[in-house]
Amino acid sequence: MPARLNPPAAPNPLTALAAAVAAAAITTAVSSWAVSLAVALACAMLAVRSGVAGRLAPAAAVILAPFWLSLLVMHGLFFPEGRTVLADWGAARVTAEGLGFALDMGARTAAYVMVFLLFSFTVRVPDLVAVMAARRVPPQFGYVLASTLTLAPAISGKLARIRQAQESRGLVLGGGPLRRLAAARLQMVPLVLSLIEDAGERAQALDARGFNGSRTRTSYRDVPDTAAQRAFRAVALLLAAAAVALRLSGQWPELQGFPLQGFAMLWPGGVPG
Amino acid sequence: MSQQSRTLPAPGQAAVRNRRLLEILGAVSIAATFIFLVLTQPADITNGLAGGSTLVALGGFLLGAILLIIGVLPTLPTSTLVLIPVALVLNIALGQIMGSTGLPFYCDAIGTVLIAVLAGPAAGAATGALSSVVWSFINPTVLPFAAGAALIGFLAGLAARYGLFRRFYLAPVAGFVTGILAGVVSAPIAAFVFGGTSGVGTGAIVSAFRAMGDTLLAAITKQALISDPMDKAIVFAVVAMLAYALPRRTTLQFAFVRRFNVLAGKKREAPDA
Repeated sequence: MPARLNPPAAPNPLTALAAAVAAAAITTAVSSWAVSLAVALACAMLAVRSGVAGRLAPAAAVILAPFWLSLLVMHGLFFPEGRTVLADWGAARVTAEGLGFALDMGARTAAYVMVFLLFSFTVRVPDLVAVMAARRVPPQFGYVLASTLTLAPAISGKLARIRQAQESRGLVLGGGPLRRLAAARLQMVPLVLSLIEDAGERAQALDARGFNGSRTRTSYRDVPDTAAQRAFRAVALLLAAAAVALRLSGQWPELQGFPLQGFAMLWPGGVPG
Repeated sequence: MSQQSRTLPAPGQAAVRNRRLLEILGAVSIAATFIFLVLTQPADITNGLAGGSTLVALGGFLLGAILLIIGVLPTLPTSTLVLIPVALVLNIALGQIMGSTGLPFYCDAIGTVLIAVLAGPAAGAATGALSSVVWSFINPTVLPFAAGAALIGFLAGLAARYGLFRRFYLAPVAGFVTGILAGVVSAPIAAFVFGGTSGVGTGAIVSAFRAMGDTLLAAITKQALISDPMDKAIVFAVVAMLAYALPRRTTLQFAFVRRFNVLAGKKREAPDA
Protein backbone atom coordinates (compact mmCIF):
# COMPACT_ATOMS: atom_id res chain seq x y z
CA MET A 1 0.00 0.00 0.00
CA PRO A 2 1.37 3.42 -0.82
CA ALA A 3 1.76 5.76 2.08
CA ARG A 4 -1.07 8.26 2.39
CA LEU A 5 1.00 11.33 1.74
CA ASN A 6 -1.70 13.11 -0.21
CA PRO A 7 -4.44 14.82 1.70
CA PRO A 8 -7.66 12.95 0.97
CA ALA A 9 -9.13 16.13 -0.50
CA ALA A 10 -6.92 15.93 -3.62
CA PRO A 11 -9.22 14.68 -6.37
CA ASN A 12 -8.34 12.07 -8.92
CA PRO A 13 -6.82 13.77 -12.01
CA LEU A 14 -9.62 12.33 -14.14
CA THR A 15 -12.20 13.96 -11.89
CA ALA A 16 -10.50 17.32 -12.26
CA LEU A 17 -10.19 16.82 -16.03
CA ALA A 18 -13.87 15.84 -16.35
CA ALA A 19 -14.87 18.86 -14.30
CA ALA A 20 -12.75 21.17 -16.48
CA VAL A 21 -14.05 19.73 -19.75
CA ALA A 22 -17.65 19.84 -18.53
CA ALA A 23 -17.29 23.42 -17.29
CA ALA A 24 -15.77 24.55 -20.60
CA ALA A 25 -18.38 22.72 -22.70
CA ILE A 26 -21.34 23.97 -20.65
CA THR A 27 -20.02 27.55 -20.63
CA THR A 28 -19.63 27.45 -24.41
CA ALA A 29 -23.09 25.95 -24.86
CA VAL A 30 -24.78 28.49 -22.55
CA SER A 31 -22.83 31.30 -24.20
CA SER A 32 -23.84 34.11 -21.92
CA TRP A 33 -21.22 36.58 -20.76
CA ALA A 34 -22.68 36.55 -17.25
CA VAL A 35 -22.29 32.79 -16.93
CA SER A 36 -18.78 32.95 -18.45
CA LEU A 37 -17.70 35.62 -15.98
CA ALA A 38 -19.20 33.62 -13.12
CA VAL A 39 -17.23 30.53 -14.19
CA ALA A 40 -14.01 32.57 -14.47
CA LEU A 41 -14.61 34.06 -11.02
CA ALA A 42 -15.34 30.65 -9.54
CA CYS A 43 -12.04 29.40 -11.00
CA ALA A 44 -10.21 32.38 -9.50
CA MET A 45 -11.70 31.60 -6.09
CA LEU A 46 -10.78 27.93 -6.37
CA ALA A 47 -7.25 28.96 -7.37
CA VAL A 48 -6.94 31.12 -4.28
CA ARG A 49 -8.25 28.28 -2.11
CA SER A 50 -5.82 25.74 -3.56
CA GLY A 51 -2.90 28.15 -3.30
CA VAL A 52 -2.00 28.44 -7.00
CA ALA A 53 -3.38 31.96 -7.48
CA GLY A 54 0.13 33.45 -7.35
CA ARG A 55 1.21 31.45 -10.40
CA LEU A 56 -2.14 31.39 -12.18
CA ALA A 57 -2.82 35.12 -12.15
CA PRO A 58 0.27 36.18 -14.19
CA ALA A 59 -0.13 33.23 -16.57
CA ALA A 60 -3.75 34.14 -17.25
CA ALA A 61 -2.94 37.85 -17.52
CA VAL A 62 -0.23 37.24 -20.13
CA ILE A 63 -2.74 35.32 -22.27
CA LEU A 64 -5.86 37.39 -21.70
CA ALA A 65 -4.63 41.00 -21.61
CA PRO A 66 -3.45 41.19 -25.27
CA PHE A 67 -6.47 39.16 -26.32
CA TRP A 68 -8.94 41.50 -24.65
CA LEU A 69 -7.15 44.54 -26.03
CA SER A 70 -7.23 43.03 -29.51
CA LEU A 71 -10.96 42.20 -29.19
CA LEU A 72 -11.77 45.68 -27.93
CA VAL A 73 -9.99 47.38 -30.84
CA MET A 74 -11.30 44.88 -33.39
CA HIS A 75 -14.98 44.80 -32.47
CA GLY A 76 -15.29 47.97 -30.44
CA LEU A 77 -14.18 50.19 -33.34
CA PHE A 78 -14.96 48.09 -36.41
CA PHE A 79 -18.18 46.09 -36.43
CA PRO A 80 -19.86 46.52 -39.81
CA GLU A 81 -22.88 44.48 -38.67
CA GLY A 82 -23.58 46.90 -35.81
CA ARG A 83 -26.78 48.98 -35.92
CA THR A 84 -26.72 51.02 -32.73
CA VAL A 85 -23.97 53.55 -33.36
CA LEU A 86 -22.59 55.12 -30.18
CA ALA A 87 -19.80 57.14 -31.76
CA ASP A 88 -18.72 57.68 -35.35
CA TRP A 89 -15.19 58.63 -36.38
CA GLY A 90 -15.12 58.08 -40.11
CA ALA A 91 -14.01 54.49 -40.73
CA ALA A 92 -14.21 53.61 -37.05
CA ARG A 93 -17.68 53.29 -35.52
CA VAL A 94 -18.32 52.30 -31.93
CA THR A 95 -21.47 50.18 -31.90
CA ALA A 96 -23.35 48.59 -29.02
CA GLU A 97 -23.44 45.29 -30.90
CA GLY A 98 -19.68 45.35 -31.39
CA LEU A 99 -19.00 46.06 -27.72
CA GLY A 100 -21.48 43.32 -26.76
CA PHE A 101 -19.77 40.86 -29.06
CA ALA A 102 -16.35 41.74 -27.63
CA LEU A 103 -17.71 41.28 -24.11
CA ASP A 104 -19.28 37.92 -25.05
CA MET A 105 -16.10 36.59 -26.63
CA GLY A 106 -13.76 38.05 -24.02
CA ALA A 107 -15.74 36.58 -21.13
CA ARG A 108 -16.06 33.18 -22.80
CA THR A 109 -12.34 32.96 -23.53
CA ALA A 110 -11.55 34.12 -19.99
CA ALA A 111 -13.68 31.30 -18.59
CA TYR A 112 -12.05 28.78 -20.92
CA VAL A 113 -8.51 29.92 -20.06
CA MET A 114 -9.17 30.04 -16.32
CA VAL A 115 -10.79 26.58 -16.26
CA PHE A 116 -7.93 24.86 -18.05
CA LEU A 117 -5.16 26.80 -16.33
CA LEU A 118 -6.69 25.88 -12.97
CA PHE A 119 -6.67 22.25 -14.08
CA SER A 120 -3.09 22.26 -15.36
CA PHE A 121 -1.74 24.17 -12.34
CA THR A 122 -3.41 21.94 -9.76
CA VAL A 123 -3.03 18.53 -11.42
CA ARG A 124 -0.08 16.33 -10.49
CA VAL A 125 1.33 15.38 -13.86
CA PRO A 126 2.78 12.01 -12.68
CA ASP A 127 -0.66 11.08 -11.32
CA LEU A 128 -2.30 12.12 -14.58
CA VAL A 129 0.16 10.05 -16.61
CA ALA A 130 -0.32 7.01 -14.34
CA VAL A 131 -4.10 7.25 -14.56
CA MET A 132 -4.02 7.62 -18.34
CA ALA A 133 -1.68 4.65 -18.74
CA ALA A 134 -4.08 2.56 -16.65
CA ARG A 135 -6.89 3.63 -19.01
CA ARG A 136 -5.07 2.26 -22.07
CA VAL A 137 -4.05 5.65 -23.40
CA PRO A 138 -0.84 4.88 -25.34
CA PRO A 139 2.08 5.14 -22.85
CA GLN A 140 3.86 7.26 -25.45
CA PHE A 141 1.41 10.08 -24.80
CA GLY A 142 2.21 10.10 -21.11
CA TYR A 143 5.92 10.09 -21.92
CA VAL A 144 5.64 13.07 -24.27
CA LEU A 145 3.49 15.03 -21.83
CA ALA A 146 5.64 14.45 -18.75
CA SER A 147 8.91 14.76 -20.65
CA THR A 148 7.99 18.08 -22.26
CA LEU A 149 6.80 19.63 -19.03
CA THR A 150 10.04 18.66 -17.26
CA LEU A 151 12.27 19.45 -20.25
CA ALA A 152 11.02 23.01 -20.76
CA PRO A 153 12.75 24.57 -17.70
CA ALA A 154 15.91 22.52 -18.34
CA ILE A 155 16.15 23.80 -21.91
CA SER A 156 15.89 27.45 -20.99
CA GLY A 157 18.84 26.86 -18.65
CA LYS A 158 20.73 25.17 -21.46
CA LEU A 159 19.96 28.05 -23.80
CA ALA A 160 21.33 30.54 -21.27
CA ARG A 161 24.57 28.52 -20.98
CA ILE A 162 24.95 28.36 -24.77
CA ARG A 163 24.43 32.09 -25.04
CA GLN A 164 27.04 32.74 -22.34
CA ALA A 165 29.51 30.39 -24.02
CA GLN A 166 29.01 32.07 -27.40
CA GLU A 167 29.24 35.54 -25.87
CA SER A 168 32.52 34.60 -24.25
CA ARG A 169 33.72 33.69 -27.78
CA GLY A 170 32.73 37.10 -29.08
CA LEU A 171 29.03 36.77 -29.98
CA VAL A 172 27.38 40.19 -29.88
CA LEU A 173 23.62 40.27 -29.40
CA GLY A 174 21.94 43.19 -31.09
CA GLY A 175 22.83 45.23 -34.14
CA GLY A 176 21.15 45.05 -37.53
CA PRO A 177 18.69 42.35 -38.58
CA LEU A 178 21.36 40.30 -40.38
CA ARG A 179 23.62 40.32 -37.32
CA ARG A 180 20.68 39.35 -35.15
CA LEU A 181 19.87 36.46 -37.47
CA ALA A 182 23.49 35.33 -37.38
CA ALA A 183 23.41 35.53 -33.58
CA ALA A 184 20.21 33.48 -33.50
CA ARG A 185 21.86 30.86 -35.72
CA LEU A 186 24.88 30.66 -33.41
CA GLN A 187 22.53 29.87 -30.53
CA MET A 188 20.07 27.63 -32.30
CA VAL A 189 22.42 25.17 -33.97
CA PRO A 190 24.27 24.13 -30.77
CA LEU A 191 20.96 23.97 -28.89
CA VAL A 192 19.27 21.71 -31.44
CA LEU A 193 22.38 19.57 -31.82
CA SER A 194 22.74 18.92 -28.12
CA LEU A 195 19.01 18.26 -27.73
CA ILE A 196 19.01 15.68 -30.52
CA GLU A 197 22.15 14.11 -29.07
CA ASP A 198 20.47 13.80 -25.65
CA ALA A 199 17.33 12.40 -27.22
CA GLY A 200 19.35 9.65 -28.90
CA GLU A 201 20.73 8.59 -25.52
CA ARG A 202 17.26 8.57 -23.99
CA ALA A 203 15.98 6.42 -26.87
CA GLN A 204 18.60 3.78 -26.14
CA ALA A 205 17.76 3.84 -22.43
CA LEU A 206 14.03 3.51 -23.13
CA ASP A 207 14.53 0.75 -25.69
CA ALA A 208 16.73 -1.17 -23.27
CA ARG A 209 13.81 -1.13 -20.83
CA GLY A 210 11.29 -2.38 -23.36
CA PHE A 211 9.37 0.88 -23.65
CA ASN A 212 7.86 0.01 -27.02
CA GLY A 213 6.70 -3.42 -25.91
CA SER A 214 3.03 -4.13 -26.26
CA ARG A 215 2.59 -5.84 -22.88
CA THR A 216 0.62 -4.04 -20.20
CA ARG A 217 2.70 -2.94 -17.26
CA THR A 218 2.00 -2.56 -13.59
CA SER A 219 2.49 0.82 -11.98
CA TYR A 220 4.15 1.81 -8.74
CA ARG A 221 1.88 4.77 -8.47
CA ASP A 222 -1.56 4.08 -7.08
CA VAL A 223 -3.88 7.04 -7.62
CA PRO A 224 -6.85 6.95 -5.24
CA ASP A 225 -10.30 6.98 -6.75
CA THR A 226 -13.66 6.80 -5.03
CA ALA A 227 -17.17 5.78 -6.06
CA ALA A 228 -18.35 9.32 -5.38
CA GLN A 229 -15.75 10.70 -7.82
CA ARG A 230 -16.74 8.16 -10.46
CA ALA A 231 -20.36 9.22 -10.07
CA PHE A 232 -19.38 12.90 -10.24
CA ARG A 233 -17.46 12.31 -13.48
CA ALA A 234 -20.40 10.51 -15.06
CA VAL A 235 -22.83 13.26 -14.05
CA ALA A 236 -20.51 16.07 -15.19
CA LEU A 237 -19.88 14.52 -18.60
CA LEU A 238 -23.59 13.69 -19.05
CA LEU A 239 -24.55 17.28 -18.22
CA ALA A 240 -21.95 18.58 -20.67
CA ALA A 241 -23.17 16.22 -23.39
CA ALA A 242 -26.77 17.25 -22.74
CA ALA A 243 -25.89 20.96 -22.93
CA VAL A 244 -23.95 20.46 -26.17
CA ALA A 245 -26.74 18.35 -27.70
CA LEU A 246 -29.34 20.94 -26.71
CA ARG A 247 -27.29 23.73 -28.28
CA LEU A 248 -26.49 21.80 -31.45
CA SER A 249 -30.11 20.78 -31.99
CA GLY A 250 -31.11 24.45 -31.84
CA GLN A 251 -33.54 23.84 -28.96
CA TRP A 252 -31.63 26.00 -26.50
CA PRO A 253 -33.96 28.30 -24.55
CA GLU A 254 -32.78 31.86 -25.10
CA LEU A 255 -32.03 32.95 -21.55
CA GLN A 256 -30.63 36.37 -22.20
CA GLY A 257 -31.71 37.12 -25.75
CA PHE A 258 -28.80 39.37 -26.57
CA PRO A 259 -29.71 41.11 -29.81
CA LEU A 260 -27.21 39.90 -32.38
CA GLN A 261 -29.68 39.54 -35.22
CA GLY A 262 -27.80 42.05 -37.31
CA PHE A 263 -24.71 39.91 -37.08
CA ALA A 264 -25.14 38.05 -40.34
CA MET A 265 -21.83 36.79 -41.66
CA LEU A 266 -21.58 35.33 -45.10
CA TRP A 267 -18.66 33.42 -46.58
CA PRO A 268 -16.49 34.67 -48.12
CA GLY A 269 -17.52 38.21 -49.01
CA GLY A 270 -20.59 39.00 -46.96
CA VAL A 271 -22.53 42.23 -47.41
CA PRO A 272 -22.58 44.27 -44.22
CA GLY A 273 -25.95 45.47 -43.06
CA MET B 1 13.19 -16.28 -20.36
CA SER B 2 11.13 -18.13 -22.90
CA GLN B 3 12.07 -18.46 -26.55
CA GLN B 4 9.37 -16.07 -27.76
CA SER B 5 10.52 -13.12 -25.66
CA ARG B 6 13.75 -12.66 -27.59
CA THR B 7 12.08 -10.57 -30.22
CA LEU B 8 9.18 -8.23 -29.74
CA PRO B 9 6.03 -9.59 -31.34
CA ALA B 10 5.13 -7.80 -34.56
CA PRO B 11 1.85 -5.93 -34.25
CA GLY B 12 -1.01 -7.94 -35.72
CA GLN B 13 -2.57 -7.13 -39.03
CA ALA B 14 -5.75 -6.05 -37.24
CA ALA B 15 -3.88 -3.60 -35.01
CA VAL B 16 -2.19 -2.00 -38.02
CA ARG B 17 -5.53 -1.72 -39.79
CA ASN B 18 -7.15 -0.19 -36.70
CA ARG B 19 -4.45 2.45 -36.45
CA ARG B 20 -4.67 3.28 -40.13
CA LEU B 21 -8.44 3.61 -39.64
CA LEU B 22 -7.90 6.01 -36.71
CA GLU B 23 -5.56 8.15 -38.82
CA ILE B 24 -8.07 8.29 -41.68
CA LEU B 25 -10.95 9.03 -39.30
CA GLY B 26 -8.92 11.83 -37.74
CA ALA B 27 -8.18 13.41 -41.12
CA VAL B 28 -11.82 13.00 -42.20
CA SER B 29 -13.04 14.56 -38.97
CA ILE B 30 -10.84 17.62 -39.50
CA ALA B 31 -11.79 17.99 -43.15
CA ALA B 32 -15.51 17.46 -42.49
CA THR B 33 -15.51 19.99 -39.66
CA PHE B 34 -13.85 22.59 -41.86
CA ILE B 35 -16.27 22.03 -44.75
CA PHE B 36 -19.24 22.07 -42.38
CA LEU B 37 -18.13 25.33 -40.81
CA VAL B 38 -17.56 27.07 -44.12
CA LEU B 39 -20.82 25.83 -45.66
CA THR B 40 -23.28 26.21 -42.79
CA GLN B 41 -22.11 29.20 -40.87
CA PRO B 42 -24.22 31.96 -42.49
CA ALA B 43 -27.53 30.49 -41.34
CA ASP B 44 -26.09 29.47 -38.00
CA ILE B 45 -24.43 32.73 -37.14
CA THR B 46 -27.56 34.87 -37.36
CA ASN B 47 -28.67 33.45 -34.01
CA GLY B 48 -25.51 34.79 -32.44
CA LEU B 49 -22.05 33.32 -32.50
CA ALA B 50 -23.10 31.27 -29.50
CA GLY B 51 -24.62 28.52 -31.53
CA GLY B 52 -23.31 25.25 -32.77
CA SER B 53 -20.38 26.69 -34.75
CA THR B 54 -18.13 27.02 -31.72
CA LEU B 55 -18.96 23.58 -30.41
CA VAL B 56 -18.63 21.97 -33.82
CA ALA B 57 -15.31 23.73 -34.45
CA LEU B 58 -13.92 22.73 -31.06
CA GLY B 59 -15.30 19.20 -31.07
CA GLY B 60 -14.53 18.26 -34.66
CA PHE B 61 -11.01 19.64 -34.80
CA LEU B 62 -10.07 18.28 -31.36
CA LEU B 63 -11.53 14.86 -32.10
CA GLY B 64 -9.54 14.73 -35.33
CA ALA B 65 -6.33 15.72 -33.56
CA ILE B 66 -6.83 13.16 -30.79
CA LEU B 67 -7.60 10.37 -33.28
CA LEU B 68 -4.41 11.28 -35.17
CA ILE B 69 -2.38 11.18 -31.96
CA ILE B 70 -3.80 7.82 -30.86
CA GLY B 71 -3.39 6.36 -34.34
CA VAL B 72 0.15 7.54 -35.05
CA LEU B 73 1.86 7.64 -31.66
CA PRO B 74 2.15 3.88 -30.98
CA THR B 75 3.61 3.27 -34.44
CA LEU B 76 6.56 5.63 -34.00
CA PRO B 77 9.97 4.12 -33.23
CA THR B 78 11.51 5.16 -29.91
CA SER B 79 14.18 7.26 -31.62
CA THR B 80 11.43 9.41 -33.13
CA LEU B 81 9.30 9.43 -30.01
CA VAL B 82 12.04 10.87 -27.79
CA LEU B 83 12.45 13.69 -30.30
CA ILE B 84 8.85 14.82 -29.91
CA PRO B 85 9.29 16.44 -26.45
CA VAL B 86 12.42 18.10 -27.83
CA ALA B 87 10.38 19.40 -30.76
CA LEU B 88 7.65 20.71 -28.49
CA VAL B 89 10.14 22.58 -26.34
CA LEU B 90 11.88 23.87 -29.49
CA ASN B 91 8.54 25.23 -30.68
CA ILE B 92 8.48 27.33 -27.53
CA ALA B 93 12.20 28.09 -27.02
CA LEU B 94 13.05 28.95 -30.63
CA GLY B 95 9.90 31.02 -30.79
CA GLN B 96 11.33 33.00 -27.91
CA ILE B 97 14.72 33.47 -29.62
CA MET B 98 12.96 34.66 -32.76
CA GLY B 99 10.96 37.00 -30.55
CA SER B 100 14.19 38.48 -29.17
CA THR B 101 15.37 39.27 -32.71
CA GLY B 102 12.50 41.73 -32.95
CA LEU B 103 11.13 40.26 -36.17
CA PRO B 104 7.33 40.30 -36.51
CA PHE B 105 6.90 36.52 -36.85
CA TYR B 106 5.97 33.89 -34.29
CA CYS B 107 7.86 30.84 -35.60
CA ASP B 108 6.17 28.43 -33.21
CA ALA B 109 6.27 25.42 -35.53
CA ILE B 110 10.02 24.94 -35.97
CA GLY B 111 10.15 21.77 -33.85
CA THR B 112 7.12 20.30 -35.59
CA VAL B 113 8.56 20.90 -39.05
CA LEU B 114 11.97 19.56 -37.98
CA ILE B 115 10.38 16.28 -36.82
CA ALA B 116 8.37 16.09 -40.04
CA VAL B 117 11.52 16.48 -42.13
CA LEU B 118 13.42 13.86 -40.12
CA ALA B 119 10.62 11.35 -39.48
CA GLY B 120 7.88 11.83 -42.06
CA PRO B 121 4.34 13.16 -42.47
CA ALA B 122 2.63 10.91 -39.88
CA ALA B 123 5.16 11.79 -37.19
CA GLY B 124 4.89 15.45 -38.18
CA ALA B 125 1.10 15.43 -37.89
CA ALA B 126 1.21 13.72 -34.51
CA THR B 127 3.88 16.14 -33.29
CA GLY B 128 1.84 19.14 -34.39
CA ALA B 129 -1.29 17.91 -32.65
CA LEU B 130 0.64 16.90 -29.53
CA SER B 131 2.37 20.25 -29.48
CA SER B 132 -0.97 22.01 -29.14
CA VAL B 133 -2.23 19.55 -26.52
CA VAL B 134 0.87 19.81 -24.33
CA TRP B 135 1.32 23.54 -24.84
CA SER B 136 -2.26 24.04 -23.68
CA PHE B 137 -1.07 23.14 -20.17
CA ILE B 138 0.67 26.53 -20.22
CA ASN B 139 -1.57 28.43 -22.65
CA PRO B 140 -5.02 26.85 -23.13
CA THR B 141 -5.84 29.04 -26.14
CA VAL B 142 -3.55 27.01 -28.43
CA LEU B 143 -5.52 23.78 -27.86
CA PRO B 144 -8.27 24.49 -30.45
CA PHE B 145 -5.60 25.04 -33.13
CA ALA B 146 -4.38 21.43 -32.85
CA ALA B 147 -5.79 20.49 -36.26
CA GLY B 148 -3.97 23.32 -38.01
CA ALA B 149 -0.72 22.36 -36.31
CA ALA B 150 -1.22 18.73 -37.38
CA LEU B 151 -1.75 19.90 -40.96
CA ILE B 152 1.50 21.89 -40.87
CA GLY B 153 3.42 18.81 -39.68
CA PHE B 154 1.79 16.59 -42.27
CA LEU B 155 2.46 18.95 -45.18
CA ALA B 156 6.05 19.52 -44.06
CA GLY B 157 6.56 15.75 -44.05
CA LEU B 158 5.10 15.46 -47.55
CA ALA B 159 7.37 18.27 -48.76
CA ALA B 160 10.39 16.46 -47.32
CA ARG B 161 9.33 13.17 -48.83
CA TYR B 162 9.04 14.61 -52.33
CA GLY B 163 12.47 16.20 -52.14
CA LEU B 164 11.59 19.85 -51.53
CA PHE B 165 14.25 20.03 -48.82
CA ARG B 166 16.99 18.88 -51.20
CA ARG B 167 17.21 22.38 -52.67
CA PHE B 168 17.52 25.19 -50.17
CA TYR B 169 15.38 27.57 -52.22
CA LEU B 170 12.48 25.10 -52.52
CA ALA B 171 11.95 24.79 -48.76
CA PRO B 172 10.53 28.33 -48.28
CA VAL B 173 8.25 27.76 -51.28
CA ALA B 174 6.86 24.63 -49.63
CA GLY B 175 6.50 26.61 -46.41
CA PHE B 176 4.60 29.36 -48.22
CA VAL B 177 2.08 26.87 -49.63
CA THR B 178 1.77 25.14 -46.25
CA GLY B 179 1.12 28.51 -44.64
CA ILE B 180 -1.74 29.24 -47.04
CA LEU B 181 -3.49 25.95 -46.25
CA ALA B 182 -2.79 26.11 -42.52
CA GLY B 183 -4.00 29.69 -42.33
CA VAL B 184 -7.25 28.87 -44.10
CA VAL B 185 -7.89 25.89 -41.79
CA SER B 186 -7.07 27.83 -38.62
CA ALA B 187 -9.13 30.91 -39.47
CA PRO B 188 -12.53 29.37 -38.54
CA ILE B 189 -11.12 28.51 -35.11
CA ALA B 190 -10.00 32.07 -34.50
CA ALA B 191 -13.33 33.36 -35.77
CA PHE B 192 -15.80 30.97 -34.15
CA VAL B 193 -14.03 30.00 -30.93
CA PHE B 194 -12.30 33.22 -29.97
CA GLY B 195 -14.07 35.82 -32.08
CA GLY B 196 -10.74 37.32 -33.10
CA THR B 197 -7.00 36.87 -32.98
CA SER B 198 -4.91 37.08 -29.85
CA GLY B 199 -2.07 39.35 -30.98
CA VAL B 200 -2.51 43.10 -31.10
CA GLY B 201 -0.61 43.23 -34.41
CA THR B 202 -2.72 40.58 -36.11
CA GLY B 203 -5.79 42.19 -34.54
CA ALA B 204 -4.92 45.45 -36.29
CA ILE B 205 -4.83 43.69 -39.67
CA VAL B 206 -8.20 42.03 -38.98
CA SER B 207 -9.60 45.40 -37.94
CA ALA B 208 -8.44 46.92 -41.22
CA PHE B 209 -10.35 44.31 -43.22
CA ARG B 210 -13.39 44.68 -40.97
CA ALA B 211 -13.31 48.43 -41.56
CA MET B 212 -13.65 47.65 -45.27
CA GLY B 213 -16.82 45.72 -44.47
CA ASP B 214 -15.56 42.12 -44.52
CA THR B 215 -17.25 39.46 -42.45
CA LEU B 216 -15.32 38.28 -39.41
CA LEU B 217 -14.35 34.96 -40.98
CA ALA B 218 -13.33 36.62 -44.25
CA ALA B 219 -11.26 39.24 -42.40
CA ILE B 220 -9.48 36.65 -40.25
CA THR B 221 -8.86 34.43 -43.28
CA LYS B 222 -7.30 37.35 -45.15
CA GLN B 223 -5.18 38.21 -42.12
CA ALA B 224 -4.05 34.57 -41.94
CA LEU B 225 -3.20 34.68 -45.65
CA ILE B 226 -0.96 37.68 -44.98
CA SER B 227 0.81 36.40 -41.85
CA ASP B 228 0.94 32.61 -42.14
CA PRO B 229 2.60 31.99 -45.53
CA MET B 230 5.49 34.36 -44.69
CA ASP B 231 5.82 32.85 -41.24
CA LYS B 232 5.86 29.28 -42.52
CA ALA B 233 8.28 30.15 -45.34
CA ILE B 234 10.67 31.43 -42.68
CA VAL B 235 10.08 28.36 -40.49
CA PHE B 236 10.78 25.98 -43.37
CA ALA B 237 13.94 27.90 -44.30
CA VAL B 238 15.13 27.81 -40.68
CA VAL B 239 14.46 24.07 -40.50
CA ALA B 240 16.33 23.48 -43.76
CA MET B 241 19.24 25.43 -42.31
CA LEU B 242 19.11 23.40 -39.11
CA ALA B 243 18.80 20.08 -40.95
CA TYR B 244 21.92 20.84 -42.99
CA ALA B 245 23.79 22.16 -39.94
CA LEU B 246 23.24 18.86 -38.13
CA PRO B 247 25.93 16.24 -38.62
CA ARG B 248 25.06 13.76 -41.35
CA ARG B 249 25.57 10.95 -38.84
CA THR B 250 22.63 12.35 -36.86
CA THR B 251 20.21 12.94 -39.73
CA LEU B 252 20.95 9.57 -41.33
CA GLN B 253 19.83 7.83 -38.13
CA PHE B 254 16.28 8.39 -39.35
CA ALA B 255 14.89 5.74 -41.68
CA PHE B 256 12.66 8.33 -43.37
CA VAL B 257 15.67 10.49 -44.28
CA ARG B 258 17.56 7.48 -45.66
CA ARG B 259 14.63 5.95 -47.54
CA PHE B 260 13.41 9.05 -49.35
CA ASN B 261 16.79 10.74 -49.61
CA VAL B 262 15.31 13.80 -47.92
CA LEU B 263 18.48 15.87 -47.67
CA ALA B 264 20.88 16.51 -50.51
CA GLY B 265 24.24 14.78 -50.17
CA LYS B 266 26.89 17.17 -48.91
CA LYS B 267 29.62 16.03 -51.26
CA ARG B 268 27.68 15.69 -54.47
CA GLU B 269 25.36 18.70 -54.34
CA ALA B 270 25.78 21.26 -51.65
CA PRO B 271 22.62 23.19 -50.66
CA ASP B 272 22.47 26.54 -52.40
CA ALA B 273 22.57 28.39 -49.12
